Amino acid sequence: MNPERFRTMVSLVLAVGVAISAALIGAGFLAALAVGWQGSLLGSAPAAMAATTDFSNLPARLASLEPLAISQLGLFALLATPVTRVAASVVGFALEGDRLYTAITLAVLAVLLASIFLLR
Amino acid sequence: MTPGAELGIFAVSIAAGLIGALAGVGGGILVIPVLTFGFGVDIRLAVGASIVSVIATSSGAAAAYVRDRMTDMRVGMFLELATTTGAVCGALLAAVVAPAFLYVLLGLVLLSSAAMQVTRLGEETPPTDPPSALTSRLRLESSYPDRKLGREVPYSARRVPLGFALMWIAGVVSGLLGIGSGVLKVLAMDGAMRLPMKVSSATSNFMIGVTAAASAGIYLSRGDVDPRIAAPVALGVLAGAVVGARLLQHISNRAVRMIFLPVLVVVGLETIGRGLGFGL
Repeated sequence: MNPERFRTMVSLVLAVGVAISAALIGAGFLAALAVGWQGSLLGSAPAAMAATTDFSNLPARLASLEPLAISQLGLFALLATPVTRVAASVVGFALEGDRLYTAITLAVLAVLLASIFLLR
Repeated sequence: MTPGAELGIFAVSIAAGLIGALAGVGGGILVIPVLTFGFGVDIRLAVGASIVSVIATSSGAAAAYVRDRMTDMRVGMFLELATTTGAVCGALLAAVVAPAFLYVLLGLVLLSSAAMQVTRLGEETPPTDPPSALTSRLRLESSYPDRKLGREVPYSARRVPLGFALMWIAGVVSGLLGIGSGVLKVLAMDGAMRLPMKVSSATSNFMIGVTAAASAGIYLSRGDVDPRIAAPVALGVLAGAVVGARLLQHISNRAVRMIFLPVLVVVGLETIGRGLGFGL
C-alpha cells in the first residue's frame, strides 16, 4: 500500500466513525426533544426508569426506540473511533511493509485495549 | 439544568471544538468550567462530557488533517507508545498519589512553558538540522504542504528521547489528573522535538483521541457520561472541529501559536485553581 492510499484509508475510517456517531447522537438528541430523555418513540413508557448514565441493557432499549439508548449507541461509536483508527493503522503499516511501525502500532493497540477492558 | 440549556451547551461546544482543533487540545478547558459554572452541571458529569469532547475534537479534525498530510502518522504512532503506557501508569498511580500538589506543579510547569512560548512568537518554521541516526532509523522526518507559505516545508524531529520521555509524562498526567494532556503533547513536539507548529498541533490532535479512549471505559462504567449533557457537547464539538480543521490549512504557524499560547495560560491557571480546590 502506498503512503497516499494509507492516509486515505485512515482518513476514511475517521470520517465514517464520526458520521455514524454524529448521526446516532443527533437522532437520539432530536428524539429526546420530542418525547423526552426517558421516553420511547414507540410511545410506551420504559418498564423501569433507568438512570441516564446507565449504558447497560442497550439492545433491548434500542429495540423500544428510546432516545437515550440511541444517543448512547452513538457515544459508543464515537469512543470506538480512535480504537478502530489504531487498528486500521496496524493494517496500513503492515501492507506498506514497515515492520517496525507495524510492531509499534500493534503495541499501542494492545495497551489501548488492555486499558479499556482491564482498568475499571 | 434549565430548559434550553442544551442549545447553550451546543453553542459553547462549537467554540471548544474550533479552538481545540486549531490548538491541538481537547477542549475540556472550555467545556468543564462552562458546564459547571455556567449550567450548574455536576463536576463528575462535566469531566465525563469533557472526555467525550476530547475524542470528538480528535476524530472530527483528524480525518482532514490525515488526508491533508498535516498529521505525521509515524510521529503520532511512535509517541502514542509513550502516552498510552504513561496513561496506564497514571491511572494505577491515582490510587496512591495525592493529586492536589500535582495539579499545582503541572500548572506551574505549563505557565513557565508559556513564558518560553512567548520567545518563539516570531518564528514561522523551526530551524532545520541534519537528522540524527535515531530520527532516520525511526523515520521521524517528513514534510507538509503549507498553503499559507505556498510551499512544501521539510522537517525532522530533534531530541527524540526527550520528546518520548515528555510524552510518557503527558500520558501519566492524563491518566492521573484527566487534563492537560493536549497542551503537554503540543509542548513536547514543538518545544522539545522542534516540529513545525501546525504539524505539532495536528499530530497532537491525532493522538489525544487515543489517550482519551484509553480512559473512557472507566468513566462510562463509573456512570460519569450522561447523554443529556454529552450528546449536545459531542455534536457541537464535532461541528466546530470539522470547521477548525479546514481553517488550519490557511493560517500561518505563527497564528497557530497565537491561538495555542492563551489556551496554555488558561489551562495552567485552571490546573492551579483545581489544585487549590476552586472546583474548576
